[in-house]
Parts: sequence; structure tokens; C-alpha cells
Amino acid sequence: MKRAKIFGGRCLKEMLRDPLSYIFCLGFPLIMMVIMTIIDQSIPEGKGPDIFHIGNLTAGIIVFGLTFTMLFTSINVAHDRGGSFLVRMYATPMKSTDFILGYIIPSFIIAVAQTVVSIVSAVIVSLITDGDIGISVLAGFIPIIPSALMFIGFGLIAGTLLSEKGAPGICSVFISLAGMLGGIWFDPESTGGVMLTVSKCMPFYYCTKSTRAAIAGDFSFDAFLLPLIVVIACAVAALILAGKLFKTKMKADLA
Amino acid sequence: MFAVEARGLVKKYKTKTAVKGLDLSVEEGELFALLGVNGAGKTTTIRMLCCLSTPTEGEGFICGNSVLSQQDEVKRIIGISPQDTAVADKLTVRENLIFMAGIQGFEGEKKADAVEKMIKIFKMQDCADQKAASLSGGWKRKLSIAMALIGEPKVLFLDEPTLGLDVLARRELWKVIKELKSRITIILTTHYMEEAEALADRIAVMVNGELKAVGTLAELEALTGQTGLENAFVAIAEGGDEV
Repeated sequence: MKRAKIFGGRCLKEMLRDPLSYIFCLGFPLIMMVIMTIIDQSIPEGKGPDIFHIGNLTAGIIVFGLTFTMLFTSINVAHDRGGSFLVRMYATPMKSTDFILGYIIPSFIIAVAQTVVSIVSAVIVSLITDGDIGISVLAGFIPIIPSALMFIGFGLIAGTLLSEKGAPGICSVFISLAGMLGGIWFDPESTGGVMLTVSKCMPFYYCTKSTRAAIAGDFSFDAFLLPLIVVIACAVAALILAGKLFKTKMKADLA
Repeated sequence: MFAVEARGLVKKYKTKTAVKGLDLSVEEGELFALLGVNGAGKTTTIRMLCCLSTPTEGEGFICGNSVLSQQDEVKRIIGISPQDTAVADKLTVRENLIFMAGIQGFEGEKKADAVEKMIKIFKMQDCADQKAASLSGGWKRKLSIAMALIGEPKVLFLDEPTLGLDVLARRELWKVIKELKSRITIILTTHYMEEAEALADRIAVMVNGELKAVGTLAELEALTGQTGLENAFVAIAEGGDEV
């Protein structure tokens, strides 16, 4: 565990020193929050979709931010694998679990920090726009923990399997899918039909749905608990798969 | 007990045998050069001895520890500077060294002392707080070797340490390697004749995965009847003599 902590510290420093992580993990979601709020404020009450009300938008913004944590996790892993850095590390007493935890921990710290900033920003926006955010916004952290781990797991899988160029590419596809089908920028339940069915097949949908319900203070089984269970299951599956793939790949590298 | 020993090491890939039954032994404190053209099997040999690649056949030992069955022990007593400069680009020189010392299990004062020692040995005081990404090729190589050395290994593997460096950076690095000689066992791979000539106590010539000759420069010259390592190397590579 000590080596995982040291390796994670190095990964965290490398991520924090990349200006692109600030632009994408923080700047972009916050800009979207402001833009969507302006759009929402410009539409007469009752004429536009509810999804852009700050109470609903916050969940989408947080999940949108997490998709970039996935991207940067994948870049970090793929970059290390692409060069000789991991070769050097493989020749040290580090174990595969040290590497896996070393990649997961810093990404998780960034995801939590990102969520804190998004929630604080949402509260400020809500105060300015006389929005509908209450103290239950803090409950948003409950589904965000498994959601963050799920996205980090996806990032680890992409970084393990793909090259430095391929990993960000596939993550961009996931980011687009999450945006379109995850209930971030529109509510699939309002469209119904095939759109809703496809959305329900995506784990992102459940991240946004459970977070949105938690922020609204709706802890009912259908709105919060069921999607939360799905997210937890997906997070566990993604992390187990990521761990197994990394170990397999490491074994193959050392064959 | 030898610092490094290989007994019948073989590495086969699907269509190619990269190393063919390599036997060698390196004494403690020796600087041993593995010389060969590209694709001769030098890096594969080093990878097997560093537990980075599993031999298809044969066995390797580092200070008596098997690279097959005692990998944890082997990894505790070796340091490697890979062919490409394996440093964390966004960390400073000092942070890279602190990181590596931590991974090697150093803590507190011991860690701080080890870092300062490396900075001093490699004369990196002026660039200690500079990010690795902004260093020149020569300084990156120095940092890479310092990172390999910081764990106080008994055996240091340097894989093509001066590849791609200009002549001044190469000479500077040679000076550092010479200073390390006899304090530590060094296995160095290179395809620069003058590098092996300038640094090595003994030289092994690898051709197409086979160890064709091992000896001091004088022994290789005597074996081939040639003067200078380059001529001796060409004679060995083309003739297939063995000592």
C-alpha cells in the first residue's frame, strides 16, 4: 500500500500539472453550467425543459465532469505504458495492485475535488438566479462516489488496452455517449421510446438519474436507490475488469 | 558467487529466437559491456536478467538470486536505466528522485540524503528543481541513471545509456559511469565500440542472439589478431570465433 500511495502521489502531481486537466475537468463543465443557466433564464418559465434548471443541471454537470476524469485516467495509463516508464517500474518491487491503486486513487481525489467545485458553483448560481438548490445538494456525493469509480475504471481499461492516441479517442466516444444518452443535456424520460430504452442500456443514465434524485432530496427506490444500485454494480464490474486487464497486460509485458 | 550469472539463457518469440543459449558470468564490481549491432539480443538479455522478460529456457542469477523464482529479491538489488529515458516528465529532477527513493523503500532522512547524494554525484544542483520534460537529452539520461542508482542497487543495468546523445553529453556521461566503476557491478549494453573500449573491464560480443566472444580488449585483440575493438568486433561478428 505504501508504494501504491507513492505511485499515486506521482500520478496526482502529473495530472495536476497538466493545464488541460483544469480546462476539461473543471473549466469546461463550469462554462457549460453558466451557458445552460443563461439559456434557462432566457426561456420563459414553463416553456422550456426542466433539465436546465440549476437543481437538475448540477447532476448533469457533475457527471459530465467525471467523464473527463475517465479521459485523463486513460491518458495517464496509456502514456506510462507507451514509454519506458512502466518498464523501469516493473523492475522495482512494485506489485500490480500498487500500480492499479496508484492510478485509481489520484483520479478519485480529482473527481471528488471536481464535484466539490461543481456543487459550490451550483450553489452560487442558484443563489444568483434564485434557483432551487437546497441542502440536499450535499447528498449528490453519495451516487458520485460509485460513479467516479466507474468512470475511472473505464479510463483504466481504455489506457490499458489502447495506445496513447487510441485511449483518448475511445474516451471521447464515451463522453459523447454520456452527454447524449446519459441524461446530461436532455432528459431521455421526456422523449421516451427508443431513446429511453437505449439510455437505460447505458450506465451513464443511472449516474445522472441517481445524482439528480439525491440533489432534489428524492430518495425513493425508483428515482434514487435502484439507479444507485446499478451504478454501484457497474463500478464494481468496471474496477474488477480494469484490475484483471491491467494484471493480464502486465503479465504479457513481462512474458 | 558472481554478481550476474546466466546459464543457457534462451528467449524465443513466435518466429524468432532473440537469445540463443547465453552463458556468462560477471564478477562483483566489474563493468561488463554487452556489445552488438541492433537486434543482436543485448536488450532482451538485460530484460531477462532484470525480471522484465521470462526466459524460454535457462536461468539467470543476480547475486545468487534466481530471476525466475526469486524475483522480489532480485528487484530489491538491481537498478535499471532503460534505453528510452524513463522519467516522469512533469515532475522535477528532485521529485523524480524522491519518488524513486520512496518506491525503493527509503524514508525520512535516509530518503533525503539519498536524493541529495544523487544530485551531487550527477552534478544536477542547477537543474534540481527543473521539470524533467525541459531537460536536454544528456541531462535526462543522467537523471534516468540517478533514478536507477538511488535504491543503492548491487547491480546496475544500463541499456544503451548514450544512445542519441551528442559527443559532449556522451563524454560527460562516461565520466559519471567511470566514477561508479568498482563501487557497483554494471552491465552496459551499447553498439558504440569506443564506449565499450573506454568503460568496460570486459566485453562480450553478441551476434544474432549468440555470445560470440567474451574477454578484455587485449584478449579480444589477441583472439582476432586485430588492433582496436572495432576491428576485433568486425572479425568476431564475421568470423564466429569464440573464447
